[in-house]
Amino acid sequence: MLVSLKWLKDYVDIELTAEELAHELTMAGLEVDEIKAIRPQFSGVVVAKILAVKPHPSADRLSLCNVSDGKENYPVVCGAKNIAAGDIVPLAKVGAVIPGGYIIKSSVLRGEKSDGMLCSEAELEVGDDASGIMLLPSDLPLGMPLETALNIGDTVFNVGVTPNRSDCLSMIGIAREVAAITAKKMKQSSVKVKESSEDINSLTSVKIIDADACPRYTARMIKNVQIGESPIWMKTRLEAAGLRAINNIVDVTNFVMLEMGQPLHAFDFRFLEEGRIFVRKSKENEEFISLDGKSRTLPANTLLICDGVKPVAIGGIMGGLNSEVKEDTQVVFLESAYFNPTSIRRSARKLAMPTDAAYRFERGIDPEGVVKALNRAAQLIADLSGGSICKNYIDEYPENISTVQDIPLRLDRIRQVIGMKIGAKDVVRILRSIGMVLKQDGKGRYLVTPPTCRVDILREIDLIEEVIRLYSYDRVPVTLPAIAVTEMAIIPRLDLEEKIRQLLIGSGYTEIVNYSFGIPVAADHLCLPENDERRHLVRIKNPLGEDLSAMRTTMIYGLLETAKKNANNGSFDLSIFEIGRIFLSRKAGELPEEKNILAGLLTGKMTDDLWGSRKTIDFYTMKGCLENIFFDLKFNNCRYNSTVVEPFLHPGKSCGIYLDDRQIGFLGEVHPDVLEKIGLKYNAYVFEINLDILVSAYIGRSITYQEISKYPAVMRDAAFVIPDTMEADKMLNIILGQKEDLLENVSIFDVYTGKEISEGTKSLGLRLSYRAPDRTLTDLEINTVHDRIVQNTVNLTGAKIRGE
Amino acid sequence: MISDLQQLEESALAELETAKTEDQFLVVRTKYIGRKGLLTGLLRNIAQVPDAEKPLFGKLCNELKNLLNTKIEEALQRQAIRKKEDVLLKEKIDVTLPGSVIKCGRIHPVIQVRREICAIFASFGFSVVEGPEIELDYYNFEALNIPKDHPARDMQDTFYIEDNIVLRTHTSPVQVRIMEKIQPPLRILSPGKVYRRDSDVSHTPMFNQIEGLLVDKGVSFGDLKGILTAFLKNIFGEGTTLRFRPSFFPFTEPSAEVDIRCVMCGGRGCRVCGQSGWLEILGSGMVDPAVFQNVNYDSEEYSGFAFGLGLERIAMLKYGISDIRLFFENDIRFLKQF
Ligand SMILES: [Zn+2]
Repeated sequence: MLVSLKWLKDYVDIELTAEELAHELTMAGLEVDEIKAIRPQFSGVVVAKILAVKPHPSADRLSLCNVSDGKENYPVVCGAKNIAAGDIVPLAKVGAVIPGGYIIKSSVLRGEKSDGMLCSEAELEVGDDASGIMLLPSDLPLGMPLETALNIGDTVFNVGVTPNRSDCLSMIGIAREVAAITAKKMKQSSVKVKESSEDINSLTSVKIIDADACPRYTARMIKNVQIGESPIWMKTRLEAAGLRAINNIVDVTNFVMLEMGQPLHAFDFRFLEEGRIFVRKSKENEEFISLDGKSRTLPANTLLICDGVKPVAIGGIMGGLNSEVKEDTQVVFLESAYFNPTSIRRSARKLAMPTDAAYRFERGIDPEGVVKALNRAAQLIADLSGGSICKNYIDEYPENISTVQDIPLRLDRIRQVIGMKIGAKDVVRILRSIGMVLKQDGKGRYLVTPPTCRVDILREIDLIEEVIRLYSYDRVPVTLPAIAVTEMAIIPRLDLEEKIRQLLIGSGYTEIVNYSFGIPVAADHLCLPENDERRHLVRIKNPLGEDLSAMRTTMIYGLLETAKKNANNGSFDLSIFEIGRIFLSRKAGELPEEKNILAGLLTGKMTDDLWGSRKTIDFYTMKGCLENIFFDLKFNNCRYNSTVVEPFLHPGKSCGIYLDDRQIGFLGEVHPDVLEKIGLKYNAYVFEINLDILVSAYIGRSITYQEISKYPAVMRDAAFVIPDTMEADKMLNIILGQKEDLLENVSIFDVYTGKEISEGTKSLGLRLSYRAPDRTLTDLEINTVHDRIVQNTVNLTGAKIRGE
Repeated sequence: MISDLQQLEESALAELETAKTEDQFLVVRTKYIGRKGLLTGLLRNIAQVPDAEKPLFGKLCNELKNLLNTKIEEALQRQAIRKKEDVLLKEKIDVTLPGSVIKCGRIHPVIQVRREICAIFASFGFSVVEGPEIELDYYNFEALNIPKDHPARDMQDTFYIEDNIVLRTHTSPVQVRIMEKIQPPLRILSPGKVYRRDSDVSHTPMFNQIEGLLVDKGVSFGDLKGILTAFLKNIFGEGTTLRFRPSFFPFTEPSAEVDIRCVMCGGRGCRVCGQSGWLEILGSGMVDPAVFQNVNYDSEEYSGFAFGLGLERIAMLKYGISDIRLFFENDIRFLKQF
């Protein structure tokens, strides 16, 4: 909210500088985001009197004026027609600067000397009137700087009022805070309404039908108003607060809302059919054109202010075009009401009309301020428009608006919450400074009644907050809570994630964090089949855009998009990973399933230097990295199964990753079609691993030391020629499956296709290592076992021995 | 004869002095102590030495022979070592060329900050807890004293999945879920992703938060100040100046916003701190009794405080980043800097 320093000073004396006041307000919970100085857009302009006006001898449209600033007389050539001798006007003297940066110079116009310029409101940007020279009140001292005469120049604070402090959505509300903080008294002002003899009750009536939404409705009538511009003092106040001046009636309603926090509405009484008001909720699909000219279909239960026939305003939100105050309005029906905060909030949200009025009503206005504001506004309208206020006001108050009284407060409780003792005197002083009424209720106990404007104060803790807030947070001593032993289990997955993160970093992967949102078309781009669970999107009802309109069901798409963005930036070599969640929808009303996922992508080269090893990557680069991680984490039961194929992966270069018989993820080269759909030029390899499954196997892993053999191992090599399609894993399993005691290990030392090997086959070179735990093996022993293994393997697989 | 011997010694030592190569040393050896060498010749002529001088002459000759032998052997050994060195020196490589290992990757800056903060609070006895990112309206709002149709809902613009299911707007719902299950004392920390319907230079629709909660008997606002002061000095440095000022959160009362002196300008006022000299770092407050009531904690017996902060904001201040969106663009040139 924009708060004018000058306006505040109408209600409380302020001796602090603007910066000091901003600091004090901020430290009392009213954060000042910005301090803005409003300065006049001119300088060197003074109050002057026209002594004489005569026509310009050689220009019909111009006149020659003799103008006095009280000390000297100046000849001024002027083009305006609205001036006469004796008028008090603003004179921009030679050297003055007027808006736009123009500097007034002494000049000669059609042969006549002109030492200055008489200005219009528009030329000085103090108003909109450009039709003639601005005429000033006749009692202003000549020579006075115009900014002083017009009281222009102010400091405006942008105050962030928290949702609980509806009482601070007004100048008087802020002034009350200032008075409390600076230990000053509020300047009292009471409104005296000058009423005519005509009784409002003889002219109109108000009937509230839905009292739950409108517990109180008050109104006054002002007759014979003359619509016009508001005086400059009011316009500058409104502008300082960020509102535009409209006319003297509407401006008064806005002014009083800003001053007292009570939104008001003025109707042109001639448009109120049957001359009376009904307050009721809307039925389904009622149409209404609001003041902003927009036609709206109102949702049911929107509170409406109606005349005898039709709606004339959306209660508490916005008036109607059909009853607005116009240039020829003569009779004003002025509304000041209390609307139910929840009702207003629901309607304002449904209608998307967060108006200044709705903002205040939904936060709760002072129920006792309704009539004060009505009287203040009525009198201001009468003063500014020349109207006369009808006798009496209407006050329909069918439902009591609850206010809180006698909240128990214990001094001891204050001490417990704050951690220090604040004396009874201080507590009483602080609460009284913000208008609370205290009654002693036994030793160290009080019953506290807050002022009706403090709708946020309901409980003891609310009072305690007020005490500490105004006592100052700074004065609360810093302490530390006693150490308590809590029984919280650590989350094993987080520990696993940290280890994996560290291993991947060491393998050259950089961590990324993508949005958890997903674009729905991702499922199509990844060629997911119709029945794939990753098509069960969690959709957002109010997304920020199509590409953020669902939650991701895989991390792969985000990784590919990241690769594409980086390629667009010229970064083609990428090793990246992400740890995060994917979301799969379940039944309506149920929370979606959230899975913790690790995923990675590899594209381009592993190193980016020009010298050194420029290793291009392939399937085995990525697989090796994962194997390393599983090795470090002691998962020695990992398997890779090529029969499990993801639709977005290369069918010949991908596999599922298994822990025993449970699939934990997949790995492989991205399918060329998918690369093309996403717009990636280069091969990419990806993997995804479900951390929730992985961690279930990770818990409780222990290490048992195995004795190191004192006797040497002996190696024997054998090369088998097998069909191209046969996987190495199968050969290893067949050899190990023979369960020869002396065979310690088998490893692959060569895979060869080409010369000497017939088409459709490959040579698989295996190294078998033999060892006995208790002796050195003899050649004879080894040869016997080795030959037996080789022969069995040939028999079981139909493989040939290379070179035979 | 003895004087001949002295002359011989002088010249032999002089020649050894100037010899440099292996060959030159071998020449000296042959010349003096070889089978036909000068010293050998002199010794061979011992008959011509007067008898009285013979023992001395013999002794001197042998001493000289040993001396020369030792010197030459030493020199030859030195030569051999140098020769080996020369071979190695010829293999000299350019040590300034870059190494050829795979270069390490980097941890995302926000995760680095998360690690750091979790470690600090772990030292204060806080345990990390987790909860769903897609949450029931009840846990995200109502249990935290933010009823439907309350203006406080405007503080967090929310993504909706269904009328009663939202993307969590903060990680506070995790605290409610934990309090429902576990009785005090409690010291928990809930880091995680949160979502708000907002997008500009300082807002992204998803960001990371850490929230903490401490509940016990006799916990006061002074304790809140104590823990948060210790935390902020830990992360921003011992010299950090901070201030607590009143604010409003529906789930805490009294509530406090915590500011630190601007790390960019030291408090003089700059663009980063909006000329105020202060930076908002975290929100905090004493847990509102209404929240305790929702989880069946007795607020007369127990009290506690909660706090929350945005990780991206901390990372932005630590690293001087002005656009929060950079964290989620994942430009490798950005990520490699941390
Ligand atoms: Zn700064």
